[in-house]
Amino acid sequence: MALAFDEFGRPFIILKEQEQMTRLRGLDAQKANISAGKAVARILRTSLGPKGMDKMLQSPDGDITITNDGATILEQMDVDNQIAKLMVELSRSQDYEIGDGTTGVVVMAGALLEQAEKLLERGIHPIRIAEGYEMASRIAFEHLENVANKYEFDATNIEPLVQTCMTTLSSKIVNRCKRSLAEIAVKAVLAVADLERKDVNLDLIKVEGKVGGKLEDTELIYGIVVDKDMSHPQMPKQIEDAKIAILTCPFEPPKPKTKHKVDIDTVEKFQTLRQQEQKYFDDMVQQCKDVGATLVICQWGFDDEANHLLMHRNLPAVRWVGGVELELIAIATGGRIVPRFQELTPEKLGKAGLVREKAFGTTKDRMIYIEHCANSKAVTIFIRGGNKMILEETKRSVHDALCVARNLIRNNSIVYGGGSAEISCSIAVEAAADKYPGVEQYAIRAFADALDAIPMALAENSGLQPIETLSAVKSQQIKENNHYCGIDCNDMGTNDMREQDVFETLIGKQQQIMLATQVVKMILKIDDVISSSDY
Amino acid sequence: MSSMLQPQIILLKEGTDTSQGKPQLVSNINACMAVADVVRTTLGPRGMDKLIHDEKGNTTISNDGATIMKLLDIVHPAAKILVDIAKSQDSEVGDGTTTVVLFAGEFLKEAKPFIEDGVHPQNLIRSYRTASQLAIEKIKELAVSIAGKSLEEKKSLLGKCAATTLSSKLIGGEKEFFASMVVDAVIAIGTDDRLNMIGIKKVPGGNMRDSFLVNGVAFKKTFSYAGFEQQPKKFLNPKILLLNIELELKSEKENAEIRLSDPLQYQSIVDAEWNIIYDKLDKCVKCGAKVVLSRLAIGDLATQYFADRDIFCAGRVTEEDLQRVAAATGGTVQTSVNNVIDEVLGSCELFEERQVGNERFNIFSGCPSGQTATIVLRGGADQFIEEAERSLHDAIMIVRRALKNSTVVAGGGAIDMEISRYLRQHARTIAGKSQLFINSYAKALEVIPRQLCDNAGFDATDVLNKLRQKHALPSGEGAPYGVDINTGGISDSFANFVWEPAVVKINAINAATEAACLVLSVDETVKNPKSESAQGEAAASAMGGRGRGGAGFRGRGRGMRRR
Repeated sequence: MALAFDEFGRPFIILKEQEQMTRLRGLDAQKANISAGKAVARILRTSLGPKGMDKMLQSPDGDITITNDGATILEQMDVDNQIAKLMVELSRSQDYEIGDGTTGVVVMAGALLEQAEKLLERGIHPIRIAEGYEMASRIAFEHLENVANKYEFDATNIEPLVQTCMTTLSSKIVNRCKRSLAEIAVKAVLAVADLERKDVNLDLIKVEGKVGGKLEDTELIYGIVVDKDMSHPQMPKQIEDAKIAILTCPFEPPKPKTKHKVDIDTVEKFQTLRQQEQKYFDDMVQQCKDVGATLVICQWGFDDEANHLLMHRNLPAVRWVGGVELELIAIATGGRIVPRFQELTPEKLGKAGLVREKAFGTTKDRMIYIEHCANSKAVTIFIRGGNKMILEETKRSVHDALCVARNLIRNNSIVYGGGSAEISCSIAVEAAADKYPGVEQYAIRAFADALDAIPMALAENSGLQPIETLSAVKSQQIKENNHYCGIDCNDMGTNDMREQDVFETLIGKQQQIMLATQVVKMILKIDDVISSSDY
Repeated sequence: MSSMLQPQIILLKEGTDTSQGKPQLVSNINACMAVADVVRTTLGPRGMDKLIHDEKGNTTISNDGATIMKLLDIVHPAAKILVDIAKSQDSEVGDGTTTVVLFAGEFLKEAKPFIEDGVHPQNLIRSYRTASQLAIEKIKELAVSIAGKSLEEKKSLLGKCAATTLSSKLIGGEKEFFASMVVDAVIAIGTDDRLNMIGIKKVPGGNMRDSFLVNGVAFKKTFSYAGFEQQPKKFLNPKILLLNIELELKSEKENAEIRLSDPLQYQSIVDAEWNIIYDKLDKCVKCGAKVVLSRLAIGDLATQYFADRDIFCAGRVTEEDLQRVAAATGGTVQTSVNNVIDEVLGSCELFEERQVGNERFNIFSGCPSGQTATIVLRGGADQFIEEAERSLHDAIMIVRRALKNSTVVAGGGAIDMEISRYLRQHARTIAGKSQLFINSYAKALEVIPRQLCDNAGFDATDVLNKLRQKHALPSGEGAPYGVDINTGGISDSFANFVWEPAVVKINAINAATEAACLVLSVDETVKNPKSESAQGEAAASAMGGRGRGGAGFRGRGRGMRRR
């Protein structure tokens, strides 16, 4: 890139390695950026909605992911272009904050960019466009609040939550059993939710999967499932009313951390040492027994000697349980994690109604179920599925559903889905546009057009005539003054989303609009791209 | 004839690049103007951003002059001066970095025709210096003081300044929201010079309106061991113990070795180690603290011990955060758990672990001494938050500056027009060449309103003429008029609350004049040859150039790329 020339037309060297820099500026830079952003949106467009298609992605080491979750697709695509990366981050932000609607937000941003391009061609200043978008997004934001409904629910009446989660799941591959999955997700969230503080810590919900079985076998366990088996094959496979000692110390003779050396010079000394070691094992098991533990869960491994001893003394044990799982078990069973055998007391034991080892199918895989816990503040969703890809996709879908349920607990306002909220916003924004003097009016109108992109994509993906369908629904909304008309993706025969029970969370939708506007603004504001030519 | 036979005196090492005289001066000016052109379009509320990749593939999107200049990696010796003044403006006042570069570029541009006409640079320099002094005095005279107002009034005034700064940034759409946040934060930390007491935490996700100010400290949940989730996550008025020791079972002394001859003593050694750690933990509990933070690790044993006793703990808290907690809660960081007295424990109204986006945050709010503030920034993309942080930094600096030297001037190019008018008027009273130079200095100052118009797509000539007319009114009532960015006309900037602290302008004019004078005073560049390898390459290319002409040049290009 050449910044300057002297009077003989030779370029100055102003920057380091100037020859290798490339520079794009002005309208060209904006157009290049916009087309990069649009390209990303185009990829995701077909994944939107209940009839959206999945993408198959292969990682460099040959792992295959099949998904229609926007954030996952973009994450795996490994895009290189900077603007495209911004779109990826946009989708990730939506994922972090809301957990759902990751595709919609990118499609929305793509539509906004597309509209902006037209305005730029007309010679409107990019920042005026960005400002117009911002005004429009605020109008849409407020409008959404107006059309939103409060949805009352409590611990006993979970139907509204289930319905909303079902809307989320309906666009996923698992929509076959969306009802049961939605119920599982809602129950799980309610189990760990702190309704008073409106806080949900999703870390307390463990999502575990095992290949095999059917999707319908997926279950919610009020307790923990650990992918481990009993340390000795002859230990009992089922323990009722288990009292669990949760240990973070190994069944081994203790070692001081400081470097040490034991000088053994006589046979007697050696024998004492051996006896002492044996006594340690004996004591450890005895200590567990003394406090009344009927099951030992240990973070570390133990010697064969200890294993044998445990078996002998009829004390079932599980070894090598990871720290996170250990913690969840402690929370679920109301026990305390004990770092040292001397500290064991009966109060520190966790209690579970049933602990059992379960084998799956014909394989030798076994898992330990810890169920009917005293305080089920930690739960496990155990997913079954035909193959690994389905399993992974189900995990992602359940995660989305969990997030939706959590959002509803935080803020119980909902809007109606099926594109109805977007259409209604589009009408509101269009109407408001005329009140603004100045160039922004055009940008606001463009925003309204961009809002139509989501219902349009929905209709297109469902095999409907996009323009006809959209215009029909739009006119219906205006005529009947009914904000709940959307695209009838599933061909249910009605456009009223209230009858179809298609809901989305208000905050999710608001977030989509705000985030998309923000990123589009950022892209529009760039008029100079300076890069090393390697990129 | 005889002089020609004299042997050439070799003064410098071979390969040294020297150029001198007028052409050198002109080419330096050209280089500076080229650099100023890069940041030109970022000025003002309608300024655009730059996207810069570096070799490592990092991307920065910024509107901040200093950041852009830093990332451009400029090697031209004269142009580097501009980078330096942008940096110095950044560290001195924090804002106006684009302005200072533009001024310097414009001063040089105005000087160029004179240099070409054969004016001695020193004459120019002298006049520029005089002009800058006059300008600064005029600014001081025009500045309006906001000292002595009540806190409420001051807050709103400071908010105006912050809003002016923010209006040109990416987060300009929410400038009122952020301006009041910044003002609150700055007022919270008081007048002490402790900028690090304002923490800015970035959490991707959410939109920028979800950003919030914590009147205290917030930091991301640290790495935790098993047992952490069983600790309570909310306290009212907890006592807070701050430590700088490891709470872990470990060997107390490095490189020590224990020799045992009697195996029976084994247990006692083991117990001794456990006792040490238990003793420490016990002391932490005894002192009554409900929240224990440490800069070093808090191991799993300690985590579970605290969980058992309903105490919250967090290990590996970063130094900065710990200092901030100490300042906020009034505690002192302890390096031992012995003798922990009540005075060294901090306290706050509310401690809570809360979900922010995808992260969990530990938040201490309602702190008694209230000398810290933390801004948690949210936004859609990493670059977005980065840029937002830079913008907030500018705003914070501006507010701090305004709080200290509490004088403000009208923005939107108004003050620049007024000084320009004043200098033109002054120039007329001077006889001699100086008159011309000061006049051109005055003209250079008009670059700010002109660039504001250009960036917004207005007709700069038209607006500038309107402004000149207003400012020339004999009554002086036109002084606060500047560019109205919304309508494309002119308006009273002062009445519209487009304000900036006077010190920003003063510093910008000072630094830019200095830089311009520096560039003007150079008439020779001596560039030492590069290190061995580079020299070899240069020599090779020179030889190739001699031998094969154009082909050699291409060869060189290839060689560069390989590097």
